[in-house]
Amino acid sequence: MSTYTIPVGPLHVALEEPMYFRVEVEGETIVGLELTAGHVHRGIEYLAMKRNIYQNLTLLERVCSLCSNNHPFTYCMALEKIAGIQIPERAEYLRVIADEIKRIASHLFNIAMLAHIIGFDSLFMHVMELREIVQDIKETIYGNRMDLAANCIGGVRYDLSEEKIKYLARQLDNLKKPLEEITRIYMNNKFVRARTEGVGILPKDEALRYGVVGPVARGSGINNDVRVKSPYAAYDKLKVNVQVETGCDVKARALVRLREIQEAINIIQHCLKEIPDGPTCIDYLPEIPAGEAVAKSEAPRGELIYYLRTNGSDIPERIKWRVPTYMNWEALKVMMPGNKVADIPLIINSIDPCISCTER
Amino acid sequence: MSSFLKIALRNLFKSPTTDPYPFGETFVPEGLRGKAKYNAGACIACRMCEHVCAGGAIQIREVADKSGLEFILWHNTCTFCGLCEYYCPTKAIRLTEDYHTAHRQEDKYRYVEKGFIKYVNCAGCGTPMVPISPELLQRAYEHVNKEIEMLRHLCPKCRQKRALR
Repeated sequence: MSTYTIPVGPLHVALEEPMYFRVEVEGETIVGLELTAGHVHRGIEYLAMKRNIYQNLTLLERVCSLCSNNHPFTYCMALEKIAGIQIPERAEYLRVIADEIKRIASHLFNIAMLAHIIGFDSLFMHVMELREIVQDIKETIYGNRMDLAANCIGGVRYDLSEEKIKYLARQLDNLKKPLEEITRIYMNNKFVRARTEGVGILPKDEALRYGVVGPVARGSGINNDVRVKSPYAAYDKLKVNVQVETGCDVKARALVRLREIQEAINIIQHCLKEIPDGPTCIDYLPEIPAGEAVAKSEAPRGELIYYLRTNGSDIPERIKWRVPTYMNWEALKVMMPGNKVADIPLIINSIDPCISCTER
Repeated sequence: MSSFLKIALRNLFKSPTTDPYPFGETFVPEGLRGKAKYNAGACIACRMCEHVCAGGAIQIREVADKSGLEFILWHNTCTFCGLCEYYCPTKAIRLTEDYHTAHRQEDKYRYVEKGFIKYVNCAGCGTPMVPISPELLQRAYEHVNKEIEMLRHLCPKCRQKRALR
């Protein structure tokens, strides 16, 4: 059989973001893969070094829309580490709530995209409709559907009144039953199973070798959740059950995400019960001394690491990210070969690539 | 397939989830971050809003005849992040729930929020200064008595003199 090289991307109907793949195929089977990145470079790293620490809160939130809470969150943690700020306990819980709400919305989006890519559009719309509940939560509590602007240096910028706590609890209850329903569909539905089972296999040893993070790693049986391994904010006071699947395929990753949504709902409910009274932010403008710090958090896609160096002025000297998609897309080289051409978008979607994070 | 068929049928008999927006009411929660509104009376020109504005949408500058300060916020540059509102000590700037930002192309450069802070003369020495807003006094002193109220009309130098007397 003859070998062909086909280009997929950078603009392709089934890919949501620009990424260029050179796929070598033999007949209909993929035998090789080459990745070329760098199509949406926005120079945010440079911009961040031109703006002061407050302006960066807003700028970094716009690095990516789906993990938009984790960027300022991790940035604030790095700053607080440099300045030695202890944030109020209530703020820690509120940060966790914001984080988990974003996680639910992000995972539901990826789950919906899976249905869309395999051509099950009615399921896609059903899941997106479910996600609308979470969008309404965000809009009501934070005032925006994507960029929450929840974090500030030394705490959070929002507070939950009794009324809002009730609203949040009610909306989460509304989410539960339909979520169980769609979890069953993703597990049992004949069409979903036919397209996702045994597709894009990433064995555990390869997953370890590539150092993948987030649901991709957990779909291959690796328990590497930052929330448990090195707790931040209020996670050390909360019980986080890490969802691990051993299927190593597209389906396993989808199930990890679905179960994590369930887990996130539990975490938020736990937070709402435990949340202490008190201030939500430090009551002075912090002074940031010269220093450097690394902070990390579990973004919806995996471990997000921030390196930050300051020089005493309020403009950072250096900001460096390591985003989850870096490791995950290298692992595509293992996932792709042996699969059919039609599965390319499906496998790419299964690592939940965040090109805007990765290329800034 | 039957599992999803049930959901699809159920959805078929439900009313639409989308809002019939231009023809009907839409969901606007309290606290939505919309267009910013500025209140020059409460502003003390500390320029914190200008400092934290990531988009550079806010400018505070002295007018040409040096009679006061002009506040300009470009709605087209604003990202609705609300940092200005958060860091404003007197809440002179706040975000409204008005999210309508459509406007004509010819109004592009007029689509701004403006305010003017007229300098007042110090009651002691007469030098022009930014007026001290009652909101700031409220924040600094819980109970504002006559004595404190008088300080409002003095420039920093005269205040210092008065305190040392």
